[in-house]
Amino acid sequence: MRSKSILLSLLAILVTASLILTSACGTSVKGTGEQILRVNLAGEPAQVDPNRASWASERSVIMQVFVGLLGFNQDLSLRADVAKVIPTVANKGISADGLTYTFKLRTNVTWSDGTKVTAKDFVYSIKRMLNPDLAAEYASFYFDIVGGLAYFSAPDKTDAEKTTLKNAIGVKAIDEYTLEIKLNDPLPTFLDLMALWPVYPVREDIITQFGDAWTNPPNYIGNGPYILTEWVHQDHMTFKPNPNYWGTKPKLAEIDFKMITDANAALAAYMNNELDISGVPVGTEKATMADATLSPQILRYNDLTTFAFQFNVTKPPFDNKLVRQALSCAIDRQTLIDIRGGVGKVALSWIPPGMPGYDATLGSEYAFNVTKAKELLAQAGYNDVSKLPEIKFSYSDTAGNRTIAQFLQGQMQQNLGINITLDPQESKSFQEYINAGKHMWAWFGWGADYPDPDNWLPQLFGTGAGNNHTLYSNPTFDALAAKGLKELDNPTRLKDWADAQKMVMDDAPIVTMFYRERFLLVKPWVKGLTTTGMDGQVAGDMFYTEVYMTK
Amino acid sequence: MTRYAIRRILWLLVVLLVVSFITFSLMHLVPGGPWDREKQLAPQVIEALNRKYGLDKPFFVQYGNFLLGLLHGDLGISYSYQDRGVTQILMQGLPITATLGITAFIIAILIGISLGMAAALKQNSWIDYLSVLFSTIFASIPGFVLAIILMVVFSVILHWLPTGGWGSVSQIIMPAFALAALPAAFIARITRASTLEVMHQDYVRTARSKGLLERVVLIRHILRNSLIPVVTIAGPEFANLVTGSVIVETIFSIPGIGRLFVQGIFARDYGLIMGSVLFYAFVIAIANLVVDILYGMIDPRIRYD
Repeated sequence: MRSKSILLSLLAILVTASLILTSACGTSVKGTGEQILRVNLAGEPAQVDPNRASWASERSVIMQVFVGLLGFNQDLSLRADVAKVIPTVANKGISADGLTYTFKLRTNVTWSDGTKVTAKDFVYSIKRMLNPDLAAEYASFYFDIVGGLAYFSAPDKTDAEKTTLKNAIGVKAIDEYTLEIKLNDPLPTFLDLMALWPVYPVREDIITQFGDAWTNPPNYIGNGPYILTEWVHQDHMTFKPNPNYWGTKPKLAEIDFKMITDANAALAAYMNNELDISGVPVGTEKATMADATLSPQILRYNDLTTFAFQFNVTKPPFDNKLVRQALSCAIDRQTLIDIRGGVGKVALSWIPPGMPGYDATLGSEYAFNVTKAKELLAQAGYNDVSKLPEIKFSYSDTAGNRTIAQFLQGQMQQNLGINITLDPQESKSFQEYINAGKHMWAWFGWGADYPDPDNWLPQLFGTGAGNNHTLYSNPTFDALAAKGLKELDNPTRLKDWADAQKMVMDDAPIVTMFYRERFLLVKPWVKGLTTTGMDGQVAGDMFYTEVYMTK
Repeated sequence: MTRYAIRRILWLLVVLLVVSFITFSLMHLVPGGPWDREKQLAPQVIEALNRKYGLDKPFFVQYGNFLLGLLHGDLGISYSYQDRGVTQILMQGLPITATLGITAFIIAILIGISLGMAAALKQNSWIDYLSVLFSTIFASIPGFVLAIILMVVFSVILHWLPTGGWGSVSQIIMPAFALAALPAAFIARITRASTLEVMHQDYVRTARSKGLLERVVLIRHILRNSLIPVVTIAGPEFANLVTGSVIVETIFSIPGIGRLFVQGIFARDYGLIMGSVLFYAFVIAIANLVVDILYGMIDPRIRYD
């Protein structure tokens, strides 16, 4: 079975290589000349209800059809969209205690059916998102809103009690164009949260009328630049410009989101001019760069995602900080990048470049240095590595992860003479295994929900935090994180997070490996594509109003 | 015969019930649930989701609810495609998969039987060798390799056909051939072998010596009798093609049910898994039943009591 699947993957690589080799005779250099952008959503989204949606493909759809109070610029700084201005203490948008936010709305914002977007739409949306019966996945981000947690935690209450709790939520429309939100505690990143899709406005009348079917066209009414005109399940979605759009009108006449799940097939579709933007299959980046036709069409950009090896710090020998630091020094990160065709950037610290909190100098003392690694191991009492307990490395069994696991095994063997056992697992079983803390050493990645260090530290390294799978626990870190989460003075806050990140890097519950880089092919006739470090499934999905096609 | 069919259909219900229970139990035993994510959801969110989808109830209550829904033709809700019911999702994919499967089946039968017969009738001629070569090649190439080769040749190099999707005749050609290749190869081999065997039977010699036209001998005596083994494998092959191929549907981006089933398993989409498994069990059981009844029509010696 094992050798068969290796054979199959070899065959797949051969076929892909032949696909790339034949590209020279296959790709014409002319577009259709029509203003139609065809991209690959790579699968059917779970649903496209902004309140309930999750990251990646769902968000790529929502970004076309909805606009929130706030949004992100290309550099991921905040931008006022439906809000007239970004609230600050100076413009009275934020109260001095940091607990009350007042958003003044633009008066010219309309839904795609022409009716006005008002503060009431936001009130409805936020309260709906916090409804326990809706079970919105991102609801926990908004538990700091007054009454939010209480309402969401009341699934077993009666309808009357739920209504009372819902009415007690600290979100209200002061007038038609003024929205007020009250928080339990100061939350310096609250404005970032208000730029995310779960709090984009949705239409109460439409949802009441159509129920779950409200997301089907033509019911799917938004306030964004495009409208969803067709959704053929498992096949494609079609977007057309919203005739009632209040902002800058899009240049495209149509966007097609195809749902091609197979990476080889997506590349073939790109070469057959059925797609204007496509990824390449894992492991074929080098071949793509070597291809004369395709190499000028490559688009690479950094993503706010970091990959790392995580230790379970409760299991020996990883309960010893010196062992963890030693193994960090024993891994040559650049070699892994080279194996991956040069895609990605070496990561010596956790928070990636392109967002606040990145520190280029951090972590250099644990960079590749075999001598130091051996010294640290000796200090930890492992002069003789055969005295180490058996080390097992777990990962979700995908083509890309297999390479990483074999790389790690090789590095440990070559540099320290340590034999590690590889433990590939099916994706969901692996996640359960990790969530239960059964692993010893495992592969993982983290992508930004919003560009702030407070999304990168407490949830992963705080004692008992939901995504803390290293089981790291450091009271000094916890105290600093608790302070940082509420610190309203920005320089002080960023300093707190810098200190917290340094603490984590020194304690080495993780070995950071690389920052993700996206690697795509874009047809030469696609112009105005604007990518960010937080794109969803589809590249440049936040700025499709600016894309246009040349012949 | 009718009594036989009724008895078999009653057994079918029992089979489906057993299949549903085994699948339901296995799904809940497999490690990892629908809400295990790379980014772990907040505990309150997991609780709300479990409640919304009835996963907070005890195992037997969940199974009972599933059966109750089944009686009303409702297979429950999908967790991966949250705004649509499993019945609705399957009903949308079914005609697509069935159209593709039936097309592939017809191609496989036409190519397989004609190639196999031709090879047998002209044994050891170039047609025979070509047929053997064809069936050996297509029986050994994995479906996904053939699919990609077709795609490279006809889409990427020649630009004749679209790489995938659904809705036009040009989109059905490559997937149907990719699906038909393997069964066509098998059918060709079996037809050839059984025709050769039948050709040397006494009753064929008798028919010829009676002075019957060669055409009549061929159709009445040889073809009809050599088809029994072909029907035996054609039934399961039909079920196989109609229930969809994960690989072909994935590579050609066809919105059928084969792809859904596998996605359902990876996503621990219990509703979708149950719906697809029951559907598969149903189709396979029916196909076997049809084959058993066809035996009796082709070979009068077979009786049902």
